[in-house]
Amino acid sequence: MRTYVRMEIACVIDCRLTAPERPGHSGGLRPGRESSPDRVADPVAAAEATEAMARRLEGIGAAVEAERAGEIFFAVGGLRGLYGGDVAGVTREARRSAGVPVLIGVAPTRTAARAAAERGEVVVTPERLANFLAPLPTTVLPGRLGEPRRAAEALVVSLERLGIGTLGALRRLHHDQMADRFGPLGLRALRIARGEEEPLRPRVPHEDLVEEIELPEGVAGSQLDRALGLLVDRLLAAPARKGRTLLGVRLGARLCGGGSWSVDQGLGRPSAAAGVLRRLLVPRLEGLPGPAEALRLRALGFGPPAADQLVMEVGGSEPRRRRLGAAVREVRAAQGADALLRVLPVDTGSRVPERRDLLTPFPEL
Amino acid sequence: MAGPRRLNEPRPVAVRAAGDGTPRTVGPVAVEAVREEWLVEDRWWTPRPLRRHYFELALADGRALTVFRDADDGRWFRQRA
Repeated sequence: MRTYVRMEIACVIDCRLTAPERPGHSGGLRPGRESSPDRVADPVAAAEATEAMARRLEGIGAAVEAERAGEIFFAVGGLRGLYGGDVAGVTREARRSAGVPVLIGVAPTRTAARAAAERGEVVVTPERLANFLAPLPTTVLPGRLGEPRRAAEALVVSLERLGIGTLGALRRLHHDQMADRFGPLGLRALRIARGEEEPLRPRVPHEDLVEEIELPEGVAGSQLDRALGLLVDRLLAAPARKGRTLLGVRLGARLCGGGSWSVDQGLGRPSAAAGVLRRLLVPRLEGLPGPAEALRLRALGFGPPAADQLVMEVGGSEPRRRRLGAAVREVRAAQGADALLRVLPVDTGSRVPERRDLLTPFPEL
Repeated sequence: MAGPRRLNEPRPVAVRAAGDGTPRTVGPVAVEAVREEWLVEDRWWTPRPLRRHYFELALADGRALTVFRDADDGRWFRQRA
């Protein structure tokens, strides 16, 4: 038996990034509405804008869940005490801090909060939740069911063929029927229709460290590599890094022909070595789909500060030899002198098999 | 380990051979087929020459095994060739 904690969830929708969904279609505008000229269509730019809004909301103390561009959830609960003691005070502060035109709705579940936001600022109480969800079309489900979206959309189409077009109709189905016919996805849809959603999974707030460099027209090849090197140096030199290592970076570019591109690169182990970053990122530039007018590098996570910096690749043979020698001594100390041997080829072409190789102690380095 | 030692030294093995010298059994296992055979003669210019008759065998239990007969003393050995 699952336990669902009823809480007040606020949904903040960036009007520039998302449009209310129309029945039978994923995304898109409602008939009669036109896309506004300041709408952000580029997915990378949309992700950046959402990230910026999430940070501003974190700035007022909200623990945000931001998994889709243009849509952010946070729990109202603890913020009441900070902003006037009621929901209206919290939403007012969220609207002010967002800094862009937003729609805000508050309800006990994400689905209801999103729908409430799309209708303008509406607060749905737990008592009203069932009645509020009932008339919502099943087309709201794909956005909430998670990946794969295609499977979720197929579920909605199947439900419509069965004459189930609203969450109210869906809610009346029996648990066993849904499990039998639609499996885990169907059960998840049923729980959403009944107002039983998982608690919010707020992200851990992290600092934003990003550097951008404008590129002269026509930069390519080794010039682009040098620009990336400069960008890496600037990111590592940023005072906000405070000597900490990086766990990963996101390399992005604004393209000359419009649009943008980005790729995430993990570092394998925490590092703040410019050489390591360059070696990992330069090959990624080959994925650039066209000439770029700007490169951007963002730190995706911070590791511990490191004075004695680890590098992924040891340059030159001497450090490698030193480390190998230490490893040999360590193994011998633990396992005995004969623990480490090596096969020494002496006469590999001999017709007498026992003359080809010798087993010798591994030499001290 | 005192010093270097040879890898793949010959190990004695019990072989029963036919009249023409071809192995028939290795231990209790019958020889299914002789896949290849060859002679190795070496150090014939020294007081201790080396003369071996190698047989690459397929045994009845599915194993592949290489054995040789020392031409000087007639003893059999197995060895990875």
